[in-house]
This record gives sequence, C-alpha cells and structure tokens, in this order.
Amino acid sequence: MSAVADSRRQVLDRIRAATRNSALTAEQAAGAYAQLAREYVRQGSLNAEGRLERMTERLREYDAEVVECAQEGLAAAIAAQLVASGRRRFVAPEGLPPEWLAGGFEWKIDRDLATSEVEQAEGVVTACFCGVAESGTIVLHHSAAEGRRVITLLPDWQLCVLRASQIVETLPEYFARCQQPPTLVTWISGPSATADIEMTRIKGVHGPRFLRVILVRDKS
Amino acid sequence: MSAGAEHPILDPALAPPFPVAALPVLRNPQLRKNVAHAIEVIQTKRARLVAEKTDWQELRATAAAIREHALENLSAYLEQFEARCTAAGGKVHWAVDAAEARRIILELLREEKADEVIKIKTMTSAEIQLNPYLETAGVGTYETDLAEIILQLGEGEPSHIVVPALHVNRSQVREIFARRMGIENLSDDPKALTAAARNYLRQKFLAVPTAISGANFLIAETGAVAVVESEGNGRMCLTLPKTMITLAGIEKVLPRFADLEVMLQVLARSATGERMNPYTSLWTGVTPGDGPQKFHVVLLDNGRSSILKGKTERQTLRCIRCAACMNSCPVYRQTGGHAYGSVYPGPIGAILTPQLMHLRHAQSLPYASSLCGACYEVCPVKINIPEVLIELRAQVTDQERRTLGKFFDPMYLGMRAANLIFSRAWLFHAAQRMGRIGLRFFTRGDGWIHSLPSVGAKWTQTRGLRGLPRQTFHAWWAARRKEAR
Repeated sequence: MSAVADSRRQVLDRIRAATRNSALTAEQAAGAYAQLAREYVRQGSLNAEGRLERMTERLREYDAEVVECAQEGLAAAIAAQLVASGRRRFVAPEGLPPEWLAGGFEWKIDRDLATSEVEQAEGVVTACFCGVAESGTIVLHHSAAEGRRVITLLPDWQLCVLRASQIVETLPEYFARCQQPPTLVTWISGPSATADIEMTRIKGVHGPRFLRVILVRDKS
Repeated sequence: MSAGAEHPILDPALAPPFPVAALPVLRNPQLRKNVAHAIEVIQTKRARLVAEKTDWQELRATAAAIREHALENLSAYLEQFEARCTAAGGKVHWAVDAAEARRIILELLREEKADEVIKIKTMTSAEIQLNPYLETAGVGTYETDLAEIILQLGEGEPSHIVVPALHVNRSQVREIFARRMGIENLSDDPKALTAAARNYLRQKFLAVPTAISGANFLIAETGAVAVVESEGNGRMCLTLPKTMITLAGIEKVLPRFADLEVMLQVLARSATGERMNPYTSLWTGVTPGDGPQKFHVVLLDNGRSSILKGKTERQTLRCIRCAACMNSCPVYRQTGGHAYGSVYPGPIGAILTPQLMHLRHAQSLPYASSLCGACYEVCPVKINIPEVLIELRAQVTDQERRTLGKFFDPMYLGMRAANLIFSRAWLFHAAQRMGRIGLRFFTRGDGWIHSLPSVGAKWTQTRGLRGLPRQTFHAWWAARRKEAR
C-alpha cells in the first residue's frame, strides 16, 4: 500500500513543484476561474418556431426521421411510428407514461431487465432531457422516463419524444438548464456512425441504426 | 502491413530519426494517396463547420483559457477529482510512469479474474504499450473501435490520433477482415466491412465483463469522466461490462461540468468536421443498476508533470487530441503518421513526444516542421506549436553540443569554425577568398552549384546553391574608391 501512496504523493509533488504559484485547493482557484474570459455566444437568437425548425433540419441531416405532433396527438403519433417500423418487440423505461405504450405490440418494461432481454427487443421508446437545435443533439440524463443507458443502446431502432419546450438553440443554453451537474449523460447527435474506412460515412455501427424523433408542439 | 523491415516502430526509444522513418512512406504512392484522401475530406468538412461559427475565435480563446487555468492549478483539481470520484463509488489510482500504470491495470484485471478485456480506443493505452503487456500476461485484448480493429487484426500501427487507420484503404481492410474473421466473399464496400466488424464484436460486448477506456475529460467539480465517440462501441464498453478501468493522463482534467459547453463545441468541429460527434457519454463513479458496478481510474503522469514547468512548454498539455494540427500540417500530409515514431504523430506529436521522453529520445521531431504555423491557426486550444518547436530545437541543440560524440560532428565543427571566422574581420575576408576559389570547381555554367560533397550534399540533395559572385560588395567598393582617387 505504501508504494501506492508514494506514487500519489510523487505525482502531486512534481506537479506542485512545476506550478509554484498555483492554488492549493479547487476552492482557492475559484476566483481565478471566475475571471476567465467568456465572450462566446451563450444565448441563441432564434424564436421557438425557429428552434423547432433548426432542430428538425439538423436531425434530418443525420438521417434521423422527424415527425411533429400536437400534445393531444402524441399517443397516436407514437403508435403510427411503431406500426411504420414493422417491428413488434419494444422495450420501454420504467417511468414512461403508460399512454405511450401503444396496444398491439409486445412491451418489455425495464425493471432491471437482463441484458439478453434488452438485446432481444427490436426497438425502444423514451423521453429525453433536452434537444440542442444547433447541433441536432438529443440529451439523455437517464431519468425514469429516459431509461437506463443499456435500453437506448442495444435495440437497433430508437424512438425519442422531444417537446418543443425542451429545445434550446445553443449548447451553452443546455448547460444553463442543468441546475445541478447531472451524474449520467448521453449526448446523441444522429445515429451511430463511422468514417474509419476511407472517410466514407457509414450509419449504424454498434448503437441504434435508426433514430426517430417525435417533436411535440406543447406550447404555442 | 506485414511485420519486418517495413513495419513502423512507434516506440520513441527505438524508432529511427524522422528523416529516416519518413522514407518508406515517401516511396509508397498508395500510402500517400490514402493519407492525402482522408486528410482532404476532414479538412474540407472542418473548414465548412468552423466558418459557420461566428464566435469561433471567442470559443478558442475560452477553451485555451480553461485548459491553461486547469494546468496552472492541476494538483488542486486532480485532488478534487479524486475526492469526488471516490465519493461517487469510483477508485482512483496514481501511476508515476507507464510501467506502473500497466502493473496497476494488470493487478485490477487479476482481481477480476479477467482473461479477456474489451477496449475503447485510447491513445494513452497505446502510449504505455498496454496491449502487448496484457497479451504477454495472458489477458486477451479486444479493440472495439473500427479503426483499431483494422489495426489490431492487421497487425498495423496507428498513424493518426482520431482516425488511426486512415492510411489503410478499403481493399486492404477487406483483405484483413476476410483473413482474420474467416469470411469468404467479403465485399470491399465500407458498409459491408462495417457490418462485418459489428457482427464480429457483438458477442464480445455481451460476454466480456471487463473494459478499458481512455478519457477525453475528467471533471474535477463532480468526479465525472467524459468519452467522446462516434460508433457506439464506447457506449457498449461503458454500459455492458461489470468492471470499467479508465486510463487518463493527469492533464485531462477540467475544472467544472459546464466547461464542456466550450470543449464539446470546439472538439467535434476540429476533429471530424461535425457540429457534434454522434455519441458523448459522461458518468460519475458508479450508478446503482446502470452500467459497471466497479469503476477504476488510473491517473498517468509518465513525463507529463515535467512539461508543466516552462510556460512555453506547458501549452503542450492543453491538447484535447482533436488532430486538427496534423490534418493541417504540410509535413504530416506528405509523411503520414508512422514517420513520427510515436503514437502521437503530427505537430502535436513533434512537441509532445520529445518532452514525454525528457528529450532523451525523439530529438529529431522538433525539426519535422517547416514552422509554417498552420497548426497554431487551427488549434482549438491555441497551442502555439511553432513557438514550442523552436524552444525544443534550442534545448536539443544545447544538449547535443555538450556531448562528446557531437564535438567532432561536421555541423558543430562548422558552427564553431563560423563562430571563429565571423568574429574576426581578417579571417572572414580570407575565408571568403578561399571559398570563392574552392567553390569555383563546383559551380556550373549556369552560375549554380548542383552538387557538393560531404556535409554540403545535405543541402544540394534537394536544392541548388547560387555560386558566389566573382567579387564581394566590399571588394567592389574598395576598388571603386581606388579608381576614383
């Protein structure tokens, strides 16, 4: 054990010797941190409609399919997407609103499902925390309605419900919405992809190959 | 890609000097074509997406300031990271050098009784040569990033830090996959090749309970770790196994979670020319019921702390590994990555590798640059690479001329002779006269010297030298005054 403690002390001592005027604790560095220049754009300029349009456009650039619906039409829109997918077996997070679980399909609710059971699902339906229009990013904080990480990873087809009120224009606006730093985050910008072979973009390596988004107009 | 004389050596302690290592690539038109094509594609995409950001320079300025601040207060932020990560159920280990990091990781794997491990692409693990070490110790390593699979199965070496197999083309990938995965009739369509990799790995993801990753960022404020990727192999490794081991250089720390609002914006645009990479994952210690229930972070020094000392050199550690510098580098574009004799090629490698080696190896790398400054211009954290290169050149020269072997080196003999001659006018004039006589034998009819013997050949190999004029200005001036009298 002493060798371990020695390495820790040795590394920290070397750093302190090299950075002589540095703060001793992160709290002491807070003042200097607050002084860092931040001249970049933090607040976007689009209105709600503009944000919705930008989000749709960017998602479609990623080959994600996007449909819009009104709040009342959400359950029907989900059902229509499920039918159109041609798939039968779906997994849903435990906290998904029951009215989203369209009839006529095989649903597995994730109460600590075994990985093999998640693997057998053909698709997944979840909510999300936020959408960032500029980059077409969907942010999952893995709350009860967003589900554990595994359920949005193994199924090949993912349907995500995003409300207009959840869409921000810029990435900094998303960070401003986080009141507390989240402990678990997945930022998703389009379906899984690679360009490792001759820079040819290929969709769908290990994550879901198909991303569908339902945009809910929940405020005018 | 076969082993032998042509196999690139990426251990800086063993690699030949840059000009020697560059030769095989310069003589391989296929390799140069592969590299040029890949770089052209990334560069074009990057330029387009950077141009659409009206606040690009402001983002760069803040990104640089955050990284510099983190380095200035590195010990404080590392201790905060350690405390928060530990509180969240993670275990933090410290490694002074590569050997210690390898040993720690092997011990952790032994505790898990792991004889196989799945890996997310991590250049840091390549830096410490982890895979061969684990294989020798009886632990099978499975790379899961497509490019890394190509290299692992093809027994190749990375030549770029973001797209490590960019020097391999589709027909070469087809050959490797067909042979190593035992697939007959495999097409060379990238889509089919990607599907082959997906099938090959799926069972590994579901079955192997231990994973190793690198880290793009460590968050001091929360003890979280962030990994940026495209394929989903990272998410697989971060989600499915029971045990996760993350190897991270000590410089990877960011003060706060919200710093990612700057870093993620500049990283994806610089690295792959995307507004955002497909997947970024962030996790904090252990989350009950979700993902690995055992989590270890190995913090690696391995020469980094020594780079912190000088303000000029310290910039090196701001690097967020986007590879924009190599994509923009006219030297890298010609030589590809293997010439740099390190897993970190290109301009950042040219400054990072010699410093990690305490200038005991890789002394030729600071010279592997024309100092054109393209790398500085594109760097999202504003590392003034030419400035660091010049500083390192000075250090290499200072070190070299003190060694006995270099005392009789023609270059240093020449420099000492020049020093003697330039400081005495009469010697200078005598040398000029002798030089004019001597060089007359080599000057051709067109007034140029096309070939010189010995050290002089180093110049004339690649360019001509103007023959000396018949008269110096000094002599002409003196003669003119004599006439006037």
